[in-house]
Amino acid sequence: MIKKIFKVSDMTCSNCAMKLESLEDVLDGVKEINASYHKLEMSIEYDESKLTEEDIMKAVKKKGYTASPA
Amino acid sequence: MSKNNNIPAINPVMIVFLGVLLLAFSIFLITFQPNLESLNQNVGSDIMSQLIIAFITGITTGGLSCLAVQGGLLASSIAHQVEQDYSEKKKLKTRFNARLPIFLFLVSKLIAYTLLGALLGWLGSYFTFNPTTRALLMIAIAIFMIGNALRMFNIHPIFRYFSIEPPKVITRYIRKTAKGTDTATPIFLGVLTVFIPCGVTQAMMATALGSGNAFTGAALMFAFTLGTSPVFFIIAYLTTELGASLEKFFMRFVAVVILILGFVTLDGGLNLMGSPYSLQNLTRNSSFPSAESSPEISSAQQITSAEDEITLYVQNEGYFPEILKAPAGKDLTLNLVTDGVYSCALAFLIPDIDFYQMLPSVGTVQVNIPAQTAGTEMYFTCSMGMYTGQIIFE
Repeated sequence: MIKKIFKVSDMTCSNCAMKLESLEDVLDGVKEINASYHKLEMSIEYDESKLTEEDIMKAVKKKGYTASPA
Repeated sequence: MSKNNNIPAINPVMIVFLGVLLLAFSIFLITFQPNLESLNQNVGSDIMSQLIIAFITGITTGGLSCLAVQGGLLASSIAHQVEQDYSEKKKLKTRFNARLPIFLFLVSKLIAYTLLGALLGWLGSYFTFNPTTRALLMIAIAIFMIGNALRMFNIHPIFRYFSIEPPKVITRYIRKTAKGTDTATPIFLGVLTVFIPCGVTQAMMATALGSGNAFTGAALMFAFTLGTSPVFFIIAYLTTELGASLEKFFMRFVAVVILILGFVTLDGGLNLMGSPYSLQNLTRNSSFPSAESSPEISSAQQITSAEDEITLYVQNEGYFPEILKAPAGKDLTLNLVTDGVYSCALAFLIPDIDFYQMLPSVGTVQVNIPAQTAGTEMYFTCSMGMYTGQIIFE
């Protein structure tokens, strides 16, 4: 398991954070996601053997946001 | 890698069109609604008009604001359930089921908020909201609304802290619950929305608290939540998630409306405190030098029945004359005359002398005003800070 932080600068409200956290349910290998609208960032704890940074950024993109490694 | 759902695509133009239609309808209602008041209500005034206001607030700003906070997550949660039904059942049945969970969700939300309103009203009955407390509450609500509007405009990162983030435990629990497939799930989700109220809902909850009556509090929250339901139903039914660009478009609308309402509420709060710096008092004061010969002043002089008595006519549209002149240095009697008045103008307030009274619909109430020095300006207002006026001592 590894924990990484991504900057998501296009969040517009706390609902965006909730949307991003819902990626927990759709991405295999994710243990926990904590997104913060106040900080405009998302921390994700995941299994590196099942998921890559690119997979995460793609999934975030599908939710309508842009993530980049902090 | 991702297990993305396959919700049918919705034409965003249709959503925008419906949104604009709804806004136009709401603006029409607001424009032609007599005796329209702000979010904050006065104790004991016409309950029916308060309920209409709560409903209109719900169908306008409340609906959009709730949608911003609760819509995305909960609508997608419901859609998740619909999607599961979709894969299991035939298409015709799915069309029926798509409406059912949303309907159940909205009904349970309505009941939950009504009960919450009763609880808040009941709790409020244990507190006495004097005009100063109410003014401070209004100002706090106004700052919250203006801060949120500025946050939506992305003016400065500091305003992001005006957005209340629900505890992770709650959002996670709601999300996990949304995975259920039974009909109880949308009902339960509807109840859980009381834990993630939007800004306007929070303001309405404060109003219910201020009512100090369980029945009034319940009725207010019922009317407000009922008002939010059409917006919620339309959007939740048509789409599971607003696209990011479309969401921003809606948010601009909401931000402008909340900003305006925020300043109106702030102005009401300042009026309640008897501040000369409210917009109404500032504009009245700035026009005063040229108003020496205005109808207000001359009528004020005409209706002065005795040297130590002045008369103010309380009407549905406010107080007339708005500017009263009175002699300085002697105790006065202010006659408040009502004749078939039912608006909140009946809740009469003079902050400077801490006078507050619900006037009768018909009759005359006398207020003793202690001697004031020349040049004193004493402001009076309704308990919502909407109708105002002043007495000038000279």
